[in-house]
Amino acid sequence: MSDLLSLLSLGSAGIAAQNAGVSVATNNVANVNTDGYSRQRVDLNAMRASPLIGGVRSGSPNRLQDELLSGRIRGSASSLAYSTTLSGGLSDLEATLSQGPTLHERLAGVFSRMGQVATDPTDPSVREAAVEATREFIADVRRRAADLADSLSQASVRIHDNSVQATSIAARLAASNEQVGKTGDPVARDERDRLAAQLSNLVGGSARIDQDGQMRFVLDGGAVLVDGTHASKLETTPDPITGKENVFVVDGSNRRNVTGDISGGKIGADLTLRDKSITNAMGELDQFAFDVATSMNAVHTAGAGLDGVSGRNMFVTPTQVSGAATALAIDPGLNANPDQLASGTPGAGPGDNRGALALLGVATRNVAAGGKTLANAALAMVTSVGLQNAEAKASASREGLVSEHLAGLRDSLAGVDIQEELTNLSKFEHASSAMTRFVSTIDNLLGDLIDRL
Amino acid sequence: MRITGHRMIDLSAERTGKAQASVAQHSAEVSSGLRVVTPSDDPTAWASAERAKVRKLISDGTGAAVKASRDRLEETDGALGSIGDLVARAQELAVQASNATYSAANRAALGDELHSMFLSALGSANTQSSNGEYLFAGSLSNVAPFDPTGAYVGDAIGRLVPAGENTTSLATIPGSRLTAANGVDVLPLLEQLSVALKTNNLAALQSGITDLQTAVLQVGTARTLTGGAMNVLDSTAQARDLLSQHLAVEISNAVESDSIAAASSLAHATTALEASRMVSSHLIALLDPRSA
Repeated sequence: MSDLLSLLSLGSAGIAAQNAGVSVATNNVANVNTDGYSRQRVDLNAMRASPLIGGVRSGSPNRLQDELLSGRIRGSASSLAYSTTLSGGLSDLEATLSQGPTLHERLAGVFSRMGQVATDPTDPSVREAAVEATREFIADVRRRAADLADSLSQASVRIHDNSVQATSIAARLAASNEQVGKTGDPVARDERDRLAAQLSNLVGGSARIDQDGQMRFVLDGGAVLVDGTHASKLETTPDPITGKENVFVVDGSNRRNVTGDISGGKIGADLTLRDKSITNAMGELDQFAFDVATSMNAVHTAGAGLDGVSGRNMFVTPTQVSGAATALAIDPGLNANPDQLASGTPGAGPGDNRGALALLGVATRNVAAGGKTLANAALAMVTSVGLQNAEAKASASREGLVSEHLAGLRDSLAGVDIQEELTNLSKFEHASSAMTRFVSTIDNLLGDLIDRL
Repeated sequence: MRITGHRMIDLSAERTGKAQASVAQHSAEVSSGLRVVTPSDDPTAWASAERAKVRKLISDGTGAAVKASRDRLEETDGALGSIGDLVARAQELAVQASNATYSAANRAALGDELHSMFLSALGSANTQSSNGEYLFAGSLSNVAPFDPTGAYVGDAIGRLVPAGENTTSLATIPGSRLTAANGVDVLPLLEQLSVALKTNNLAALQSGITDLQTAVLQVGTARTLTGGAMNVLDSTAQARDLLSQHLAVEISNAVESDSIAAASSLAHATTALEASRMVSSHLIALLDPRSA
């Protein structure tokens, strides 16, 4: 009788074990569309007992995942976010510099008008057209300088917003660490991995799980953002000199400037965009405006207007390269009176066009920084951004392929397959039914035995 | 490798999305005819096209200048032609008047005719172009270059206009070509002869005839110079037209798409999209748990 009672216990444990399998398979199917979910598996272990009766026992559900693969996925997410964000920003920058009539086209328009002045130096409408082309060129330079400043400002806003978001995710990651430490719940581990991937997507860096089972998230450069259950903050503060937002890791009273360290994720991309691409473009635009003003002024002052007066500027003299694009302006006298355009030479009459020819000649002289013509300098500015964007697009495409490959590897290991889970469900259901029948049989045997006593 | 049904559907959706993007890209290329729209599409090709655009823009601008200069030189040539005819006629009259059979009264009558010719020549020499500039004034184009005595008050500065890239061409002939700096003072000479005839001053008349020979050559030289400048401008205009065509081809080669290749690519992309959609549809039906 005691053996039959043991068999009942065996049956009961068997039903529980198979039901655990049903439960895990059902849970897997239920989470088939859950982002970052890792499928679980229940391992059934045969129980040892001598000489005949053993039985089965189910352990806790196992979460199928590979920490090394998770690390690679986070790294890939960081690189992909970096390339994609950078490419998007560079596309905007490219549009800022190349949309509409380009700077080199505007400048060519000014030189073309100078050619017409050289043909008809005394024609008021031709002179006014040349001055108007100059005004349009200046307005275009200033508009693009303003657009670049706006792009810079927008990048700073995005860096700030993403830093706030990163701080929130870091806090949730620390809370997740705490939950994993307390319960070891596979879902909490999934959540932690998902948060780490989101954090990598924003700031790059790397995460590792130490022997204590806690995840630590470290930024490029070594600053620790999450250490177990403790999270630091990512804050932005305007630089007192440049006014640009610097990024700090703040832990209590400790503040560490990580602006130059973050090289991945969306924040890294916006920092690259802001501190390199846009800043370089602004510098090149300033240099271009400075070169245009100084080279044209040098020729213009040597020439004479219709009134025979020489020594007058075409542009307001720039005081320095920095800010020259924003400050670029036509000489007020020339703006008010196109007769002041130095189309002639001192001592000659108003029909002399040597001044206009000299101004036109600036078009083909290598007067811009780097030994370029002015038009080529303007062109190089846009081409440089185009090259950077082409590189970023190619990089985003490459990272997309890597990311896709890694997603395939993760799916191979941890993805839920409905057919497979339905098969498992059927397998466990059948086993559970069989165990139920087994218990019923033992129960009948026990009943018969008790009835006969 | 284990591939889940979920992954297969994801991959299928992703591939369909890429195929759709490819169709959109090729459609845009076929409809716009452009392979390169933004600098990042092909930085080298874009820069090459933009350089050509700048050259074309400046070249087209100077084209208008060359045409205007050509018109002005034609006016100059016409005026010089008139002056040349008058000087030649004056030479005939002077030679005729130097004949001993001519009386003082006959000479005085010829003197009056020469004075009229002087005034006509003066009028031609003070011709203004359509924009009001005096053709022969040099750089002092806003004042009549020859005063009522025929003396030149302009300067010797001829105008050069941009004819091509880094080249200039002569566009005006200053009136100094008709002055003693280049031979004799042509217009005053006519008036001097008129006075000599009216006063029956044969010595002055003989001297004037010699100077008229020089004047005829002088005006002829000025016309030759004008014709040469017109030829240069004509050649320049032709060269610029060729350059403009070349630059247009360069721009086209750099950024425009091959329409046949683009249409072919669009057809391929459309087929790929249809196939991708079909695969997705089959896959979804195959993996539908309800069909199990």
